[in-house]
This record gives sequence, structure tokens and C-alpha cells, in this order.
Amino acid sequence: MNAVTNLKPRAAAARATGSRVVAKQLLVLDEAVVEIMSDSGEGAQKCGQSFGAIAARMGNGVWTVEIIPAEIQPPARSVAGASGNRIRLGSKSITNGGDEAAVVVAFNEQVLLGRVNAGELKPGCVVLLESMWGESPDAKIAAQYAETRDRLLAEGYRLHEVPMEQECKALVADPRKGKNMFVLGMLCNLYSLDMNLARDQIAFIFGKKDEKVIKSNVALLEAGWTWAEDNLDFKYSVPAVKATEAQVVINGNTALALGILASGMDICAMYPITPATSASHYLSDIFEKAGGIVHQAEDEIAACAFAIGASYAGKVAVTITSGPGYSLKQEGIGLAVMAEIPLVVVDVQRGGPSTGQPTKVEQGDMLSVMFGSHGDAPKVVMAASSIEDCFYSMITARRIAETFNMVVVVLSDAALSTAQQPFPRPEFDADWLAPPIDQNPVPEGARPYDWDPVTGLSRRFQPGQPGGMHTLTGLAHDQSSRVAYDPEINAQGLHARSLKLAALQKTLMPPKVFGDESGDLLIVGWGSTRGAIEEAVERLRGEGHKVSSLHLTFLQPMQPGIKEVLQRFRHVMTVEGNWSDDPSDPLIDETNRRYSALAMLLRARYLVDVDCWTEVRGRPIKPGTIYAEIRRRLVAEELHS
Amino acid sequence: MDSHLRSQCVFHLTGRRTETDALESNVSGLRPALLAAYRDLDALRHDFPLVFCGGEDYVQSLSAAVDRVLRKLAPEGVTGEGMRRRVLKVEREIRRQVTAGARGSLLQLWDKASDTLAAQADDEFVRDVRRARGALGIDGDVAGCDRELPSRFMQHAWSVVQREKARAARDRIDSLVIRLGDILRADYMRSEQALQQPALKASFGSAHRGLFDFGAMSKVLQRVGPPGGLGERRRARVEQARSVLTAQRFFPSSGEPGDKAGASGFHDFYFDSPAEALAAFRARLPELVQLLKSLQVAELEVEGSYREELHDPIFASLDESGVTAPDLRFFPDYLVCIGGHEQGEQAQLSEALSSGVPLKIVVQVEDLLEEAAPGRGHFAFGMRSARLASAAMSFDEVFVLQSAASNLLQLRSRVQRGLRYPGAALFSIYAGPADGTLPGYLAAAAAMQSRAFPAFTYDPGAGPDLASRFSLENNPQPERDWPVEKFSYADKDLQSVTEDVAFTFVDFVACEPRYAGHFAVVPRASWGDSMVPAHEWLDDPPQDAASGVPYVLAVDDGDLLCRLVVDDRLMRAATRCREDWHRLQEFGGIHDSRAERLVVRERQAWEEQRQRELLAAPPPAAVPQSASATPALAPAASAPAAVVIRLRAASDRTASATSSGAGSRSMKSMTPLTASISASVYAPSGTVPVLTRCTTASIRPLGISASPACSVVLTSRPPLRGGPAGPRR
Amino acid sequence: MSTATFALHGLFEERHSLEDYQVGVPRWCKGCGDNAILASMQRLCRDEGLKPEKTVFVSGIGCSSRLPHYMRTYGFHGIHGRALPIAQGVKMARPDLNVFVNTGDGDCCSIGAAHWIHAIRYNMNITMMLHDNHIYGLTKKQASPTSPLGTKSNTTPRGSYLDALNPLTVTLGIQNVSFVAQAVDWIPESLFQIMTAAFRHRGFSFVRILQRCPEFVGNMFEPWVHDPSKMLMLSHENGIRVSPALQKIYRNQENHDPSSMNRAREVASIDDPIPVGILYRDPEVPCYEDLRHAGALRTSDSIRSTLDKELDKFTVWPQ
Repeated sequence: MNAVTNLKPRAAAARATGSRVVAKQLLVLDEAVVEIMSDSGEGAQKCGQSFGAIAARMGNGVWTVEIIPAEIQPPARSVAGASGNRIRLGSKSITNGGDEAAVVVAFNEQVLLGRVNAGELKPGCVVLLESMWGESPDAKIAAQYAETRDRLLAEGYRLHEVPMEQECKALVADPRKGKNMFVLGMLCNLYSLDMNLARDQIAFIFGKKDEKVIKSNVALLEAGWTWAEDNLDFKYSVPAVKATEAQVVINGNTALALGILASGMDICAMYPITPATSASHYLSDIFEKAGGIVHQAEDEIAACAFAIGASYAGKVAVTITSGPGYSLKQEGIGLAVMAEIPLVVVDVQRGGPSTGQPTKVEQGDMLSVMFGSHGDAPKVVMAASSIEDCFYSMITARRIAETFNMVVVVLSDAALSTAQQPFPRPEFDADWLAPPIDQNPVPEGARPYDWDPVTGLSRRFQPGQPGGMHTLTGLAHDQSSRVAYDPEINAQGLHARSLKLAALQKTLMPPKVFGDESGDLLIVGWGSTRGAIEEAVERLRGEGHKVSSLHLTFLQPMQPGIKEVLQRFRHVMTVEGNWSDDPSDPLIDETNRRYSALAMLLRARYLVDVDCWTEVRGRPIKPGTIYAEIRRRLVAEELHS
Repeated sequence: MDSHLRSQCVFHLTGRRTETDALESNVSGLRPALLAAYRDLDALRHDFPLVFCGGEDYVQSLSAAVDRVLRKLAPEGVTGEGMRRRVLKVEREIRRQVTAGARGSLLQLWDKASDTLAAQADDEFVRDVRRARGALGIDGDVAGCDRELPSRFMQHAWSVVQREKARAARDRIDSLVIRLGDILRADYMRSEQALQQPALKASFGSAHRGLFDFGAMSKVLQRVGPPGGLGERRRARVEQARSVLTAQRFFPSSGEPGDKAGASGFHDFYFDSPAEALAAFRARLPELVQLLKSLQVAELEVEGSYREELHDPIFASLDESGVTAPDLRFFPDYLVCIGGHEQGEQAQLSEALSSGVPLKIVVQVEDLLEEAAPGRGHFAFGMRSARLASAAMSFDEVFVLQSAASNLLQLRSRVQRGLRYPGAALFSIYAGPADGTLPGYLAAAAAMQSRAFPAFTYDPGAGPDLASRFSLENNPQPERDWPVEKFSYADKDLQSVTEDVAFTFVDFVACEPRYAGHFAVVPRASWGDSMVPAHEWLDDPPQDAASGVPYVLAVDDGDLLCRLVVDDRLMRAATRCREDWHRLQEFGGIHDSRAERLVVRERQAWEEQRQRELLAAPPPAAVPQSASATPALAPAASAPAAVVIRLRAASDRTASATSSGAGSRSMKSMTPLTASISASVYAPSGTVPVLTRCTTASIRPLGISASPACSVVLTSRPPLRGGPAGPRR
Repeated sequence: MSTATFALHGLFEERHSLEDYQVGVPRWCKGCGDNAILASMQRLCRDEGLKPEKTVFVSGIGCSSRLPHYMRTYGFHGIHGRALPIAQGVKMARPDLNVFVNTGDGDCCSIGAAHWIHAIRYNMNITMMLHDNHIYGLTKKQASPTSPLGTKSNTTPRGSYLDALNPLTVTLGIQNVSFVAQAVDWIPESLFQIMTAAFRHRGFSFVRILQRCPEFVGNMFEPWVHDPSKMLMLSHENGIRVSPALQKIYRNQENHDPSSMNRAREVASIDDPIPVGILYRDPEVPCYEDLRHAGALRTSDSIRSTLDKELDKFTVWPQ
């Protein structure tokens, strides 16, 4: 489907550089995946994000993924130290990082090897590699370089050696700092991006610095463009359709922070933890301008308790954390549930258990979030499935917490936290904001826990309300919040708190099916896997398979009508980024197989046979991987039937 | 009695000249000798022009600003010399332009001046001047000491104070509006309406609205507890208060009350007559009361402590009569600027000042002398203008400030006290006559120097008694009748002569040509021993005219020194002026007449007592010496404490009276700076003039702070009828 | 503000009676020191004219932490060891509230020790009462961090192994400490005096109250209760003055200036005689909620403008 055209050779006179004249091939693509890899500190991140932003400005669908080394300052030229960015751009909206890369730019061969070994590159992938190492005085380095080059060629990669350092030397004193903009120029040429937008982008990045910095970076940019123009015999274009409405490009954690601001919450209590912290960094920067406060507590427990205290006395507060922190907050969350204090908790999931994989994605916290804290502690659990979702989840969570006096947990994950994607610019609405603190007298005879027998709802009293004085407690209590050991009352409390989930569930709409309402196979997912799943489903449907998918925003309570949907498909399976036993393992059988979190829930709740496929490799699941897995199953299915 | 003396006496007594006498009537271009140094005022660094900037230090002198810059930029010693020179050039140029009537902000004038100079200047000049400009740190309108100054100065000072007030008021009002709004919104959130579908839907983000069935949500939420909420009456009360606070017209958010430009529906507080101001105040009173009530209701409501049974009746009864002075303090004050010459305004003043309305009234005094009948009539001098302020003190609760325009900078903090004073304030300011020949600055300074228009403040807020309320700040040598300066010149024998010259009311009058009739020039030849300096004459008037004719020293355009005989009317005016000054001194705690009497009595009593003792017990031989020594010291030891203090005061007086320089230098807020006058001596024989340097006394009392370079040529005017007057050699 | 407004406030400030702050019948054992503390708090609320609805007592878990249930104000009976962070949240969200914390030696010095340390650093305007009876009561007699060496308890049947932790010296050792006092339940008058001073101090007021537990360590404080000379009464014109009546009984006094940290630390480490009074006070230490401008007025406009400014930065198309 790739259109191929021949461009006229340019007149040699046209080039001052006098480099060879090339006949160019223009390949028109509807999507492309590029990776830029460097030692950390060489600016591949900035380069990649700029590239994404420029493409987005042109109207492309874009998804960028940060490739982050675990250490702050890993050794140079090391596989482990590879830091970079993956950019996927397309003619249509892009919802995930996509499959293996077709083009990779590497500042040295070692960071490149990391990606090769991880199988992140397509066979025959175009490699643009810094050539300086080949001439390195250090024999060892030169050898490593030569070895890699040979291997790449042997394995059929389309290797282009680029004298980045050399080209940049001509323009700046410290080429190591300038390379990334040179590369950006190269890529702009390679993907036929608008250089004016590129210049604007540079002006935007270095806006705080002076003209000189901007100038020299623009020079590098243009040098990169020219080099590619002169030395590469191919270029791509990914036709773009500019969106009609304003678009913003941000990552998931920024979206969370902006969502918190937009929801009218006043206080965010947190304790530093990867990968959640960057949300607090950004919020700390902007929150005070609007009278908000980010409180860094002495520990996760304190952060949770602080948020609970603030919620109790004022507007709903939020605490942001990741798995390990969440475990520590559990007792406090139980208190909030028991005392019916509204609270928003954000869990940006990472690899677990224990310290696990701090910078890597996993969907392992669903059950502990749902059932965590001792005793029956019903709370609302939502999962964000896109960057835009991260933003709106905060407003929704705040609203539900306030309305139902419940704890609302919002699940995000390491993939969303750093991924960037354009989405329609939110139009602020003052009705999103939390209502002001109620200081009006409580009605005559009203009690702090006047549980409605049907919905379990009651109106909370806030300090400062005349006539509302009572002592809230984590002990079992009656409607007046008096400590009660009477078994009747204990049951009454549990009943009321549980009913609220049902009440909330009654206000939810059934989830929409992606694809046909019925068919052979329904894939159910939650959270950040949405884009990949739906893309895989689309491909399969393109091939005529009767596959649909269902993506859940509310995990507790679950939206109505799910059972009916499940029943309309011959097979149902979940695709998740958490652990599940492989039935083909010798010891695993139906009696001991551990299903993935969602599968287990669906089976338990709807008495439907739900299978599951999961991957916990610490990276976003690729649409291609899902596609391949489903296809394999469908084929097997056909053989059996 | 020789003819000279006779004609002088005649003139003194009658103000008339006989055809034959040697008196010259032409006194035009004469000025008091002490003012000789100030011909080219622009060349002298002094308090003016002023810069009107914002903030606490709301007005600064250009020179001070420039000095600050130089301290910052120009290194000590020669290295910084170039910079200092160049920047001072600019300062002088600005001063010139301002005197010439230029208007504009400091930076504008700075650029104008540096452009003018840049014409014949090098790059260094441009560079230094630009650096200095960057370091100025302040900007604002520049004002010279002209007749506009009083109203410009006061308007600026007033708007600075009002801006502060407005900011505070807005903060309070805005926060109340928000918090009242919160009460209503919190109540709304529980209302039926807030639980309807549309409201619920609006409260979720667009991308999530598809997740909910708002109809169902509405049904579920309807079940939550009793709505309770605000009673109708409370809601009405809160809404009422809120709407009044939002609609108020006293404090524009820009915080610029009285700014006629930014009127935009907000009240204006700047008026040209007390009557208009009072009328406006009365017209706004109901609005003011509304706002006051609403503020109080609001504060009670947000505190949740409004109790209908208690507060309703109070607010029902609270009307215009209940408005207290502290209530008014919250609101902007009314500024009224008038030129105190029209009779009508004078009459209005007393009504305005006694009205209890916080009017800040600025009266610009035009004429201190006011010769009643044209020509020779007696002086109604000072009856109104100069005494306006002292009269206002009788209102007791009115803040009063009197000052010459030249002295306003020195009194800036007191001016602000006056504007912040909760109640009426009167600022009586003299900025020189309409048709004066002297620069406004000199005219004003001379008025203050000569006691014709002394500076003082009466601040009822400062304390219960006169001692704490009244201040004579800034008047030169306040303990004296007239400030005395050293004045030097060279006589016909080339000998430098230095004498103490007092600057009296008479000298001040001599500044104004229209009163020339009261003076007659006495040529040197006719100078006689019976001529008495005016101040001595005033100290003890001679029995008969012949034994003393008062004169003052003056110089003409050529800086030739001469004596002016003064006629008796003017001397009488001077006497009255001195009496007024004595009264002020006494307010200011100088020369406490009662105390002085008491001292005398105590001393007599003590000495008689002493005498008796001595007589009673004849001491041993050695004793008498010490005994005779004791009286001087003893009183302090034995007399009652109260008296000891008086004695101190008394002795201080005499002490400082002996050294004029000390007197002036000891005044606070005055940096003593001396000027030097080089006097060249003109010898009739035509020998080359010899320059002899000799210093005059501190000229700081005139507020001038630099070295004038002008010369006074002193000479005996050529004798009319022959008579050798050449040097004896 | 105008005097008229003051008049309206002043004139009609409701006066409260003790009953206005009392609710329920305390379930503490007979002779438990908590009763004395409760009584002094109710008196303090009345005498300081605190609005019941504007007052919050936050507590953790333990006998001491039952106190809020007996105050007719708002109360928050939280979880073990977390009273302080909860109270901080309350204060940060609502600087207008009077916030008190009741905690015990186990709650504060053991499970909640981390929060205790940091509460002192934050120095929020909160009044804390450490009910220190040297033992876990609610869980039936286990040694606590403040139990004297050799205390026999159910977990230390042969006597506790470790020397007791001294809450006063610990508190005084922490940066930003602004108010430290010690009181004992058996001298109600000085207890009340000290609590009043603590409440009036703007900042984090740490008051350790030695409190008898007749049930489990009945004789722990007997020698001091019965021998006034074993009490050291601190008094100073900058602190509190011991009343004449008390002076007669407690002759062992020290004129201690609360601004002296060095002497405060010495006094803090005396365990016999027991010092009673204000050990240290520094009104100058800034409060965390002030540094953070807590309770700033937020308007939808300020939020809208901040949000829009940020979104502008990230808007890619159209520009």
C-alpha cells in the first residue's frame, strides 16, 4: 500500500556542499515508528518529544514513549544506560506506542544494541548510526563499533552511518550537546515535516534562553536537514489531516495534575515515588497560583492521613502514589471508608511485588486496590485508558467521592505516565469545581450518618457547621457516630457502605463494545492497554474475524449490562498487563490456574468462562503481539471446530 | 542732627521724602543681602525639583535620587569623578528645564536633558548617563517649586494614601463577596435544582459524560437527607449584602479614587471647594451607610455568628446618625484644593472643618501682606492668610499643617500623617506671590525664614496635650526671634567684614517690589551711627526716631551693597509678626513665659533666703569664696525639681543664642552645607579688583545644598556731592 | 474595621457553659488521669470562648484517644499513631478551626513516632496533649516506650528491658520546636494553666501530661503524688506564674525562662523531681500553614486562568 515515486535528481550546482546528487524515493506511509536512542544526557528525549510535537502540529496522530534507564547517571555507551524516545506518528489518531520500530537513530552502537536485543526493531529496520566511534582512538571502542556494524549488516538492517559529531563540530563548540537538534533536522527531512514548525518548536523549547541559543540550535536543525537531503536516497511522508478543534499534547502525569487543578481539589498530599512523582512535580509548580497546596509528607501513611484530615474538614483531597505507597496507605483508606470521608487516591502502577520495576509498566494492583484494607472496605475503582482519560478521571473521581462520600481510586500506570498524545483541548467548566465548604447549620434533627435505607447515602457534616458536632470514628458506629458494639448496628453500617456501590452502579451507563455487539471472541481490557487492544481487534476484523473488544473504565462497581455483552460472544478473554498462569505449564490445570485480575473478577461476577492472556515484560503490550496471539487462538479454534 | 539723619527720620516716620534729601526712591532690583548668593538658583543643587513616585517614600528630591545613583555607580575618588560630573550635568539641565516650565516624568525629562547635552558630548557621557538612568530606580512626575506645587504635591500625596486605603478595602470586600458567594453556592449544591440532570451533567468532564445516566443519578441523589439549608430570610440577607458589596462605588478595583480619568461610575473624591465636597459627602451618605451595614452583616454571616434576634434590631436602627469617625476611616477622604484668597472660601472653611467630615483641605496662601488700602494704608497683614492655620487649631480635632512650599519635602511624612488622620485636616501652604520677582522657591523659603510664614503642624492624633500635638519642625534657629546668619563683604579698605545679619520680616517684605514704597535707599555716604539694624531696632525700639532709624542690608542687581531705611508702618507689621512668632514658639515649648517668670521668682526667693542665711551666720574666713561661688551652682541643687528644668531650658537658650551657626546646624533633618561667596572689591581708583574669599553662614535654612558661585560687589556708592572717599594709602 | 462592627461582634459573643462542651459519660476507669485532662479541656473551651462547631479534637487509638467522644465539639477518632498527620490535614484545609490532638505514649512515641518528629518540624498551630501513663492500657498492660526500665507487663513479665524514652528531651531536640511543657494530672490547676498557655501559643504546642493509670500501674506516680517536694514547679514572668495557693503546697520551685533552650533541655532530663510548667517557648517560629498560605481564597476564575495558561503551553493545533 506504500506509494513509491521517483523524485527528480537535483542539479549539483544547487548544492554548495558539492555532495553527490541523489535520486530520492518518496514513500507515502499511513503510519511510522521511529526510535531515537542515546546515552542519557545527550538529549534524545527532547529530540523525540520535539519530533512528536512537530508531527502533531502538522496534524498527525502521535504517541511518544519515553525509554528511561533505571539509574540517574548510567555509564556511557552501555546497553543498560540507553535513554531515548519512541515516536509513533500516523495519518489517523494514534492510541499506543505501536509495534517494532522501522527507523532508529542511535548516538552510539551500544544503546542501539540494547534495542536490537530487546527485539524492538523491525527486521530490515533503517538504522542511522553515529559514525565517529568507528574512528575512535580507543581501539576497544572502535572494535565494538566495527563488530556491531558487521552484525547489523549481517542481520539485514539498512545501516546508514552518520558523521553527526563531525557535522555539528562545524557549528557548535560542544557537539555532544547539539547532536539532538541535528538529528531532529534529519528526521524532519526524512519524514517531510514542515521546517518552519520545527523552527517554532526550537524557539518554544529554548524560549527562556537568549536568541543566540535558539539561533545555533536552528543552525544545527538545518544542518541535519541538509545532510539528510544530500545523503539519503529516500524520504517518507505521513499525510496528516489537521484537527478542527484545538489539540493539546501532554503526558499522563501532567494530565493528572491538570485534572486535579480542574476538579477544584485544594490539597494534594504525596510522598515521592516513581513513576507517580512527576505528577506532583508539575502540580507543585502550578497549584499555588490557584491557591492549591501540594504537601510532601514524611511518609506515605502520613500523606494519606493528611489527605483524609483535609478531606474531612474541607474539600475532597487527593493523594498520589504507586504500588508500594498504596500498600502503606491501605489502613488509612480503610478509615476513610469506615468514616465515609470522601477521598481520591491515584495509583500510577509499576512492576511489583515489593520494589519491583519502578520505571516499568504493569497492571498488577487492581485487586489489592479493590479488596485491600482489612475487613469489607468497599471503594470505587476506576482505570484511565488514555492521556485524555487521565485528565477527566480526576474530575469524575472528585465528583463521585464528594457525592457518595467514598474513596475513589484511579489507576494509571507507568506507560501512561510518560506517554504523550494529542487530544482535544479541555474546555474548563466552573461546574467541575468542588462545592465550597459548607458552613451552614445542619438541619434540625439531622444525624451524621442518616443512612438512606435504599442507597446507603447520607450527608456528611463538616467542621464549622453549627449543630453538626459529632466525633467521627474508625470504630463501628451508629447513625449519630456513637461507638457501638451492638451487632445490629455494625451490620447496618456495613450494609449502608456497601449499598453505596450499588447506588453508584445504578447511575452508570453500559460500556460500549468496540466492534460488533456479538461474535466469536470478545476481548476485555482495562487501563492503558486500550489502544493496543482495539488496534489489534481492528486488524483482525480487517481480516474478517468476528472479534470485538470491551474496555472497562469502572472496575468497581462494574458498569451495568456487561453480562449481557459477554453472553453474546462464543468466547471471552481478557488481555492484561499482569500475571496469569500459562495453562500449558506442566503443573497448571483448571483447578490451580491463577487467572489475571480482571478475568477472575468477570468469572466470579458473571459466571461466564473468561480466559485470559497477559504479558508482564515491563513494557507496553504491542498491538502486533495481541494480534498474533488472538490470531493463533482463532486459527486453533477453527481447527478444533 | 545732620541732614542725612533728618531725612532718614522723616522717611521712617512718614514714609515720605523731601526733595533735598539724599534718599533714593528707586529700590527696584534690590534684594536682601542674604539672598545675594542665590541669583542662579538652577546652578545650585537643592531640594527641588521633586519627583512624585509611589510607595512609602512617595516624594523625593531629584538631587537625592541622583546622589543615590552616584553612590551606587560612581566609585569613590577620581575614578568616579567623570561619572559624577556627567550625571550632575544632566541633573542641572533637568532643573533648568523644569524652571523653564517643562513637565513630564523623571525618565522623560532625563532623556530630554541628556539629548540636549549629548549634542556636544562624547560617548562616555552617553554611556554613563544611560547607566545612571537605568539605576535611577524611581520614576514619576517631576515638579519644581512653582505656584502649582502645593496642589500637585498634595494631590499626589493624597492619591498615594487613598490607593493604600482602596487596596485594603478591596481585599476585604472581595474576600467577603467570595465567601458570601460560597455560602450561597454551598446551599445551592443541596438544592433540588443542583440535583437535576443538567446540573449533574455539567459537573462532569465532556469526555466522561457518556459514562453516566444522569436521570438515574438524579433519582439516586434525591434521596440524600433533608435539604435543610439557608432559611429564606438568611438567604435574602446574604444576597442583599453581597449585591451591595459588589455594587459599591467607593473603591474601584484599580484602586485610584479621585482619579477623574478612571471615573467609570465610581465616586470622585477631588473637589475645588469645601461646599461641593460636603454636598457630595451628604449625597453619598445613604450609600455609605448601606455599604457599612453590608460589610458588618457579611462579616457576621461568614463567621456564622449572625443572630437575628440580636442583630436585626441593631441593623434596623443603624442609620446615618450612627456613622462614627472610625467608620469613615474606612472610606476615601475628600481632597479640596483652594486658593485662600476669595472671601467666600474663607467663610466656608470653618464650616467645613467643623463638619466632622474627613475633608483634607489644601489652602494655597497667595499674599501674606495684603496691604489693605491701596498704597499707604496700614497692613492688614497676616490677619487671614498667615493666621488661618493657627486659627484652625482652635477646632482642636482638626489636623493642621502650615508650611512654605519650599519646605514640603522636609515635611512629607507629616503631610502623610495629616492625610491619614481620621478627621478633617487643613494644609496651609505658601508658594510665593502671583507677581513675584524672586523664583518661587526663594520667595517661599524667605517667607518661612523670616517668620512671615513659619512651618508648624498640629496633630490631634499624636497625643492628648499640646506638647505632643504641636511641632515647630524645620524653622531655622527656632529659639530666636529671627534667624541670624554670618554675612561677609569687603569694605572700601579691602578689609573683609563679617557681621551677623538677621533675616527679618522686613527683609522678606523687601523681596517684593510692590512694597518698595516702604523702603528708601541710603547711600553709603549717608550711613550714620544712628542707623540701627531692623532686628536690633525691634528688640528695643528707641525712645525717639532720631536716636535710631531701622535699616536692612540689601544688594542690587550689580550686587552692590546698600542700606534700606524702613518706614514705621512696616516696622509695626514686623512687630506683630514677631508677636505671632512668639506665640508659636510658646506652643512649641520655646520660651515658656510662665516658667520664665517662675524661674525669676524662685531665683529671687532663693537669693533672699541665701542673704538671710549669710547674715544670720557669718562664715569662717576660708568659706566666703566658695560661698560666693555657690549661687551659680546651688539653685540646681536646692531649688524644686520643676524649676531646675526651667533653669536648664533658660540657660540652653542663652547658650545657643550666642552662636548662630550652632543654632541652625543643630536643627534635625537639615544637612548642614555651607556656601561661600567670593566678594570682589571695587576700588574707585580703578585698581584691579582683588578677590578675597570669605564664607557666609550656613545657607541650609533656605534649603539650598551646594556651592553658589556668584559674587557680591560691595562699594560705597559714588558720593553725590564730591567728597573724597578713596582708599587711604 | 469600624468600631461598630467590633461592637456587634463583642456585644453578642455567645457565652458558653461547661455543659455546652460535655457529652456522654466517660468510660475511663475510676481514678484515671484522663478525667482530669478532659475536665481541663472543657474548662479551657469555655474560658477561651471557643465555638463548639469551630473546634476539632483529633486523636489516635488508646485510652487517651477516647477523649474526643466526650467533647461536644467536632472530633476525629482516627487510627493508631496517625492523629498528627490527620490533624495537620484538618488545619491545612481549615486554618480557621481550633485543632487539638489527644494521643498517648504508645500512640505518639511508638507507632506514631515518625509523625511526632515531623509535627514538631511543621510547627502547625495545633495543641497536642501527650497523655503519658507509661503503659498500654486499652490493649491490657504492655510496656510502652516510656515505661521505666524494669516495668513488669504482660509482654515484659520479668520487667521491661530498655530504658524509658524521654518525650521532652526528644521534642526539644528537633528543629523548629516552639512550645514544650509538662503537666501532671494530679495538679488540675497547673494543668489548666499550662493547657491555656499551650492553646494561646501560636504554633505546635507539645504538652506532655503525666497521667496515672490506677488499673495497670497504680503506684507508678505515688511517691510524687504524695510528696509535693518531689515536684519542681517552673514559673517565670514570661511563662506562667504558680498561684499563691499552689506555692504554699509546692515549695520546690524554679524561676525558669522559657526562652532558654539550654536550661529547658536540662530541666527536661530531670525525672525526679518532676518538672511542671513551660520548659520552652519560641513564638517566632513560623507556622507551616502560614508558609503555605493555607486557606487562600480560591475562585473559579483563578483556577480557570491558571488552567488556561497551562493548556496554552501545550496546545499544538491550532496555535
